[in-house]
Amino acid sequence: MATQKIPNKLEPSQQAIYWLLISLSITFTLYAFNLNNWVPASFAVFAIWRYLIEKNNWPYPRLWLRLPLTIAGGVAVLASYGSLFGRDASVALLAVMIAMKLLETRTKRDFIVMVILSYFLTVNILLFTQAIWVCLAILLALFSLTACLISASYQNASNQKASNQKASYQNASYQNISLQNKQALNHTQAWKVQAKLAGKLLLQALPIMLVLFVLFPRIPGPIWGIPQDAYSGMTGLSDSMEPGNINQLSLSSKVAFRAEFKSTIPANHQLYWRGPVLWHQEGRRWTMTSNNINLPTETLETAGVATDYTITLEPHNRNWLLMLDLPKVPSTDSLPDEAAIKHDMQVLSKLPIRTRIRYEGHSFLQYTLGATLSDYERTLALQLIDDENPKTRQLATKWVNEQKSPVDIIQAALSMFRNQPFVYTLSPPLLGSEPVDDFLFNTKRGFCEHYASSFVYLMRAAGVPARIVTGYQGGEINPSGNYLIVRQSDAHAWAEVWLQDKGWTRVDPTSAVSPSRIESGIAAALLDSDLLPLLSRQDYPMLKKLTLNWDAVNNGWNQWVLGYDQNTQLALLKKILHKDIAWEDIGLILVSTMIALMLLVSYFLLRNNAAALDPVKKAYQQFLKKLSKAGVNKLAHEGAVGFGERAAKALPDQSIEIQEISALYSSIQYAKHEIINANKTAAHCKIAAHNNHKLNLLKQLVKKLKLK
Amino acid sequence: MANSLNIPGKFKITSPKTWFRTAIAINSATRLSRRHIYILPTRFGWLFALLLLALLTGSINYSISLGFAMTFLLAGVGAISMLHTWRNLANLKITAGRAKPVFAGENAVFEINVHEENNRARYSIFASFTAGKPDVQDITAMGESTFKLTLHSQKRGWLKAPKITFTTEFPVSLFHVWAYAETECQCLIYPTPSLHSQTLPSIDSDGATGQLSTTQGDDDFAGHRNYQFGDSPKRVDWKASSREQGLLIKQFQCEASSTLWLDFNATTGNNVELRISQLTRWVVEANKLNLKYGLRLPQLNIQPNNGDSHYHQCLTALALM
Amino acid sequence: MKNVTDAIIAKTNEVILGKEQQIKLALACILAKGHLLIEDLPGMGKTTLAHTLAQVLGLQFQRVQFTSDLLPADVLGVSVYDRNTANFKFHPGPVFTNVLLADEINRATPKTQSALLEVMEEAQVTIDAVTYTLPQPFFVIATQNPSSQIGTFALPESQLDRFLMRITLNYPDTASERKLLQSNGGREQLAKLSAVIDSKQLQALQAASHEVHVSDALLDYLQAILQHTRQSAHFNAGLSPRAGLSLKQCAQAWAMLAGRDHVIPEDIQAILPSVAGHRLVSNNTLTSNADNIAQLLKAVAV
Repeated sequence: MATQKIPNKLEPSQQAIYWLLISLSITFTLYAFNLNNWVPASFAVFAIWRYLIEKNNWPYPRLWLRLPLTIAGGVAVLASYGSLFGRDASVALLAVMIAMKLLETRTKRDFIVMVILSYFLTVNILLFTQAIWVCLAILLALFSLTACLISASYQNASNQKASNQKASYQNASYQNISLQNKQALNHTQAWKVQAKLAGKLLLQALPIMLVLFVLFPRIPGPIWGIPQDAYSGMTGLSDSMEPGNINQLSLSSKVAFRAEFKSTIPANHQLYWRGPVLWHQEGRRWTMTSNNINLPTETLETAGVATDYTITLEPHNRNWLLMLDLPKVPSTDSLPDEAAIKHDMQVLSKLPIRTRIRYEGHSFLQYTLGATLSDYERTLALQLIDDENPKTRQLATKWVNEQKSPVDIIQAALSMFRNQPFVYTLSPPLLGSEPVDDFLFNTKRGFCEHYASSFVYLMRAAGVPARIVTGYQGGEINPSGNYLIVRQSDAHAWAEVWLQDKGWTRVDPTSAVSPSRIESGIAAALLDSDLLPLLSRQDYPMLKKLTLNWDAVNNGWNQWVLGYDQNTQLALLKKILHKDIAWEDIGLILVSTMIALMLLVSYFLLRNNAAALDPVKKAYQQFLKKLSKAGVNKLAHEGAVGFGERAAKALPDQSIEIQEISALYSSIQYAKHEIINANKTAAHCKIAAHNNHKLNLLKQLVKKLKLK
Repeated sequence: MANSLNIPGKFKITSPKTWFRTAIAINSATRLSRRHIYILPTRFGWLFALLLLALLTGSINYSISLGFAMTFLLAGVGAISMLHTWRNLANLKITAGRAKPVFAGENAVFEINVHEENNRARYSIFASFTAGKPDVQDITAMGESTFKLTLHSQKRGWLKAPKITFTTEFPVSLFHVWAYAETECQCLIYPTPSLHSQTLPSIDSDGATGQLSTTQGDDDFAGHRNYQFGDSPKRVDWKASSREQGLLIKQFQCEASSTLWLDFNATTGNNVELRISQLTRWVVEANKLNLKYGLRLPQLNIQPNNGDSHYHQCLTALALM
Repeated sequence: MKNVTDAIIAKTNEVILGKEQQIKLALACILAKGHLLIEDLPGMGKTTLAHTLAQVLGLQFQRVQFTSDLLPADVLGVSVYDRNTANFKFHPGPVFTNVLLADEINRATPKTQSALLEVMEEAQVTIDAVTYTLPQPFFVIATQNPSSQIGTFALPESQLDRFLMRITLNYPDTASERKLLQSNGGREQLAKLSAVIDSKQLQALQAASHEVHVSDALLDYLQAILQHTRQSAHFNAGLSPRAGLSLKQCAQAWAMLAGRDHVIPEDIQAILPSVAGHRLVSNNTLTSNADNIAQLLKAVAV
């Protein structure tokens, strides 16, 4: 290639390093929430060091210092993450290396490579968090990085001179010639120009981003394996239950899912969101039935009107899709991600939910589930580990011996919870080696899972088939968006018992202890509400309102930005184009839209924008155009009067008008009190009016001028 | 031009008028028109593309929708920056500026004026001859800048400015934009003054020796003499006369107008270039001594004179011989 | 104002036939308080023009014929010892006047030339540590033969800058020449010529020419011209800021002669060859400056 190389070894102006430090500070602040603290701390050290190098002209560290530092950085990552690969470790390694590279970033080339690496590091924050404010911070960092790129690319005489001097004095005479009369941008100007240009680039890139974002075909990931630790941050219901793990969840205000109802939102006590159904008891632990159990799906008879809703589920790295009790699934097509319904009416997706998904639900609040119970199911629903909790078994045997019916037994158990001093609390005491006995007869303080598990235990001991259902109960209605927010703190566990003719019937022992938990939500039910996360409490209405508004924004963000996937894309296109779009056609639409957009953008960016003309010049230009049509062209160097005379000679019929216009234009342009200087002060008003009068006259004359 | 000089006495260029014709046709302005601007990604541009690819695969793999958004934003910045880099160079008007004559072997400095007419400030524009060092300038909106490009001169005569390459990578160094411009700019290269100088030829026969001869003149005061009838009263030295010594007249003398003819035929040797070089040396020396000198070339005589413009006239004649 | 200037021009025109343009230029130069250099071959009416102008403007007139033996003292004046008072008495030279016609200035030695040019710059004479102020108004009209003539000392470029304008007269057209031949030459009429204004009125006219409005748009044009001379390959060196100021002042005077209260680009174009011609050093010594100036005017857009 015969092009001239632009030197890359020059040192850019000071702004470059400041822009870089600003953007990396933002990036590392964001990482402070997600990486080991020593990583941002080490950045702070190197950044300050680099700053001092710039400010005090300290020498750059030499290789003997940089090399051990680099090795130390690698070792530190290895030590704290146990590996150099995996998501967290590799991001940490990149971050540390970038922080250290600051110390050898001095030439234009260094800066540009550094900026490109930093772009990568900054966008990678999205692996950890994708909240709105993070997105804004990332945009700010990208802006700074772009400004840094611009400032590194800006070369002028002064930085060329500086580096030339460092290089050699050989070409001194050349420099003297080429560096005279150079006015490099001064500092404030440079900041302004760079910031403005960076903003311009990003804003102009916005339409391209939008088109690509909407139309770029979304291939469902992953393309290859994802490191194990990728989803460690996600929380949600577990596939097993032990006393304590739901109340752990209750401390989190993270949103579990949001539900929009097509019709009115059912009452709070009807909002049981069905999650994992637990059958097996092993000591304190309750677990689900195996996936390949091959039991037939329980029969379902429904009554009343169906409730339709759409759920936006936050990723929780498990398979279950939460549904309102009790979902009716006409066919698996209506479920996302090849999900299927299990025999005990829990909906499971094929793969763990790792991205936010949206699906539609279709539930009946009145139903009869599992009218008949097979022997196998009965065995499963009565399974207990032998020789545990003797007191409880004794109590159950006593109820059975009293010839009580299953319904009476349930009532007996519930009235026991209701009448004895049981307390619903977030901080239950630890239970001994016979946990159910300890809870029922000793501590009597527990959270929903204590009540659910001990209730089911009692039932099974009394020969009533029973199982635990975990999920969420209730939710918070957001008036700003008319949808329901269900948080992790709404996690709940309840029981289902099988009764002849009624099938599986929901019994919530918690409601016996604390009816308000079911009627109004967890915040109302707990006395020691300080333990609850701030957003689940009820004491600050203003804060609540604000947060609800904020959540509405978040919900939109989640649905339209974070949850934008292939399905949303197709649905949106269908809505816009009013016809079904095949996945393959998106590519074509994308290419044609992009071409059109780029043409448009190019037109606006590349057209020749001449300086804007003032009205006087505009009117005169019209005059010139008219004359030019009549065959008389004004030469660039001709004055208005001189040209007027020439034109008048060429067009003797209109000679008077032509000369009049020329003289008028000349006098507006060159005589005293120009139109441009028309100030608004009183004295000048008259002049301005006079000028306006002259201008109008000029316009009229030009308009009237008729040439053949 | 130089080739034909090997035959003494036979020169292509004969009169000052024809010299002028070989000279400058400056008014032509070149414009870096859209069709002649080339663009390619730089190494950093490729690196940036790699970054986009990495971000895209990452976004797909982890199904991060916002990742797509950021990737596309950066892709947009890349595409927009291509247009920005391109338009940083587009539509500049280039006119030839002046180039001061230099002696062969020195660096000729060409001034190239670049005008901005699109009301957009241009930054970091590099201009260079194909082999030379680049000069970098900013150009303000609707303004103009002067690039100074050096070229090593080798032989006397007109040195035409070679093709100029304008390049820029501003604003983000991801793209390299360049364009070529031909200008009519040329620099007059005087012959190299000979290193081994023969002594200046003696003053012409009608002059004298080049030393001061005390002819009566009016440059320097040279003493008094007694008043004689007919002397101008303006020349009476009143101060001296007042000392009662009778009227005294101030006497003046001036340097004899010594005219030096520098003749091509007075130089020795067979090589025309060496002889021209020798003449050049004489002209330089004569000018330094502020002598009045004339130049006699086979086809041209330059009347004796002194001063700057005469000096340059003689050197020009030698350069274009 | 226009009547007065028109009358001056008409009156001068009666003596110098067919040279209205040059007369206007010369008058503009005087109104702009500058010195005038008339360059032409002998016998073209240089001296007559200078003389006529002085007469018409009602100014005191002195003429010095420059020769190679003219001394500075011959122009400036000399202190003479007076035996009666036993004191030195200053005898003012011809420079103490309103209009000094320096005829054939390039025949004098550089020494005398520079003595005169110094006076032109400062409008005062210092001899034996005493400073004598020249009368106001004061200006020099110098005439010069083209420098190619033998036995002359061409004014160096730096000195030429002291003259606001340089004009040439050229041969008269046939009609004017016929008229000239029919009459007895200008000199005869010169004797009977009466003044149109006096020096007071002239000073008022000079002050008025300063008041002629120069708009920003015009200054843009003027600066574009200056810029172009500084960058063009035609010229060795561009116009100095002083030259720019001269251009403006002359254009103001020119506009006043045309009866306008503001300057238009045509004024600049009219006076540019005379004002800039002797200040611009052409890149190629072998070309005429007039061509270059015409090129310059063509290259700069209004």
